[in-house]
Amino acid sequence: MNVGTPEPLLSIRGLKVEFSTRHGKVTALDGIDLDLMPGETLGVVGESGCGKSITALATMGLIPDPPGRIAGGHVLFDGEDITRADPRRLRSLRGADISMIFQEPMTSLNPVFTAGDQIAEAIMLHQSAGKAEADRMAVELLRTVGIPEPERRSRSYPHELSGGMRQRVMIAMAISCRPRILIADEPTTALDVTVQAQIFDLMRDIQRQFSVAIMLITHDMGAIAEMADRVAVMYAGRIVEKGTADEILDHPLHPYTRGLIGCIPVLGKEAGEEGRMPPLAEIPGIVPPLHLLGRGCAFADRCPLAFDRCRAESPALEGGAHKVACFAAEMEAA
Amino acid sequence: MGPTAYIARRLAYGVILLIGVLVLNFFLIHAAPGDPAETIAGAMGGATARMLADIRSAYGLDKPLLTQLAIYLGRVAHGDLGMSYYFNQPVIDLIAARVGPTILLVLAAQVIAITAGVAMGVFAARKPSGPLSAFVAVLSTVGYAAPVFWTGIMLVILFASIIPIFPVEGMTSARFSGGFVAHIGDVLYHLALPAFTLAIIFLAQYSRLSRASMIDVLGADYVRTARAKGLSETKVVFKHALRNAVLPIITVAGIQFGNLISGALLVESVFNWPGMGRLAFDSVLRRDYPTLLGILFFAALMVVVANLLTDLSYRFADPRIRTGGR
Ligand SMILES: Nc1ncnc2c1ncn2[C@@H]1O[C@H](COP(=O)(O)OP(=O)(O)OP(=O)(O)O)[C@@H](O)[C@H]1O
Ligand code: SF4
Ligand SMILES: [Mg+2]
Repeated sequence: MNVGTPEPLLSIRGLKVEFSTRHGKVTALDGIDLDLMPGETLGVVGESGCGKSITALATMGLIPDPPGRIAGGHVLFDGEDITRADPRRLRSLRGADISMIFQEPMTSLNPVFTAGDQIAEAIMLHQSAGKAEADRMAVELLRTVGIPEPERRSRSYPHELSGGMRQRVMIAMAISCRPRILIADEPTTALDVTVQAQIFDLMRDIQRQFSVAIMLITHDMGAIAEMADRVAVMYAGRIVEKGTADEILDHPLHPYTRGLIGCIPVLGKEAGEEGRMPPLAEIPGIVPPLHLLGRGCAFADRCPLAFDRCRAESPALEGGAHKVACFAAEMEAA
Repeated sequence: MGPTAYIARRLAYGVILLIGVLVLNFFLIHAAPGDPAETIAGAMGGATARMLADIRSAYGLDKPLLTQLAIYLGRVAHGDLGMSYYFNQPVIDLIAARVGPTILLVLAAQVIAITAGVAMGVFAARKPSGPLSAFVAVLSTVGYAAPVFWTGIMLVILFASIIPIFPVEGMTSARFSGGFVAHIGDVLYHLALPAFTLAIIFLAQYSRLSRASMIDVLGADYVRTARAKGLSETKVVFKHALRNAVLPIITVAGIQFGNLISGALLVESVFNWPGMGRLAFDSVLRRDYPTLLGILFFAALMVVVANLLTDLSYRFADPRIRTGGR
């Protein structure tokens, strides 16, 4: 890495993903731009269905095809375009340089193999270690992720472990080959609050210890506040706001981001009289189904600030370090 | 529960089930019309009242029904299934001479059905709307609809006269000379058609089931995890997915064993396979009750043993059952 301006480790440019559905072709991701710097944590936040997981899967080269297809753009890992890599090259990246943990710890481990075997499998695959060596390393990894009695637990089957422990096993598997990027797709959604905090602590430890860059996908602004250095807010397959975590949390510009944070300007009130708003789940309305997206701003039907222009054209993501895609925010800034 | 306790409990269930089968068989046969003494006398040529009485006391037929049952159960416990009315030989000997070929036929059919069925199901699942999937759908419909004896007769016609490459009758060649290995080859050669006939219905079921099961499993989160690890598609499908997809197959294979055995009895008649099927058929016509009871008992015994083995293999294949989890 050069001294001075670091190169991004992962650079997503204009990524467009389409799915063929019974409603015809829908655009699940429409021109995503994201950069992940070495060692940082990038938060990707948005409601269900906005395309967070698809972004992650595209980075792994795992978009299910069919029905999905990368229709445009690039995913550059260390300068190499993943969307063009052949399957063999992709397999050698997955689990080794880029690894991923999932939202569903209860079902993400194979029920018929032991925790230790599932970790050792990744080690044998990418590090040309023998079985005994890989088993020993798996036990060490279980110790690293804070599993008590790692020797015994490595012989446990997933159903013998709690949700929190399973997620720790997933993390152990994900870091087993010292990846440079760890994608965590809602790693704590299925866990209760105390366990969530433990898993975040663990992820921070691991980031320090292994200097891995983390893409943390979540719909929880609390998690963003706790973990992220920079944030991208997604809505209906696009990024609507992007900036440092401090900027976004303290000065959200997009009405949707404000909704997520829980303070949204109520229409008709004076500036500064913003009421505390209900949390995320209660932003009125729902995310429009992708096949019903029109030409205007996708948030218009739920936006308290929407005006004529919002329904006619779609705002572009604009700005300097803190970017936003919203006509009202643009006028506010002007 | 440890494996020993588990096996002990399953064995106890098996024994209770077998006793139930014996009692039920006994009463069913005695509820059937026709006096066995007259049948026996008929087989011996002509019946006087004196002869009938002799026969009744010799076979215990003059005793009260419950006493007859107690005697019967006691004898079975000692491996004595009584004398055949018709052959005038111990039933156990008649069965012992024929049980081997039946087991061979049943196992061969089961192995063919499961291997071919699962292979077809797995490859069909890779392309759920591909041509192999369509073939599996057609095959399973035909397999369900066509009765065993019809498939059997069609195959007999096909191989007897149209493409005579497999023998359609018996278990060995009539004039046969050769060593032991050649003998085994000869038996397998004769086994081909009956085993295939018996397998085909079950093959249809297994292919359909494993296709559905595999499609289901391929969408599972742990399959995505396996891919995210960087495993090859072969490893993902044949290690991570298949190990889970076969679990329902094992269950169904256990359930199907009973049907497979009754199917075998029919197939044996079609192909003149020297198993228990022919004997069962003849015993019904001759009202040879002890033989019939013995065959039913043996069939039940085979089902019980097969279910026990199925259970054990399921425990082996699914750690959630083995270690007492969900
Ligand atoms: N297999 C698929 N077939 C068709 N459409 C799909 C498929 N997978 C995803 N999509 C579409 O892509 C969109 C984005 O899905 P994605 O899984 O990325 O959402 P998400 O932001 O991760 O949501 P969640 O918070 O629920 O995980 C969805 O709205 C869905 O319509
Ligand atoms: S562009 Fe218009 S509709 Fe969209 S978020 Fe901004 S104000 Fe609301
Ligand atoms: Mg998701």
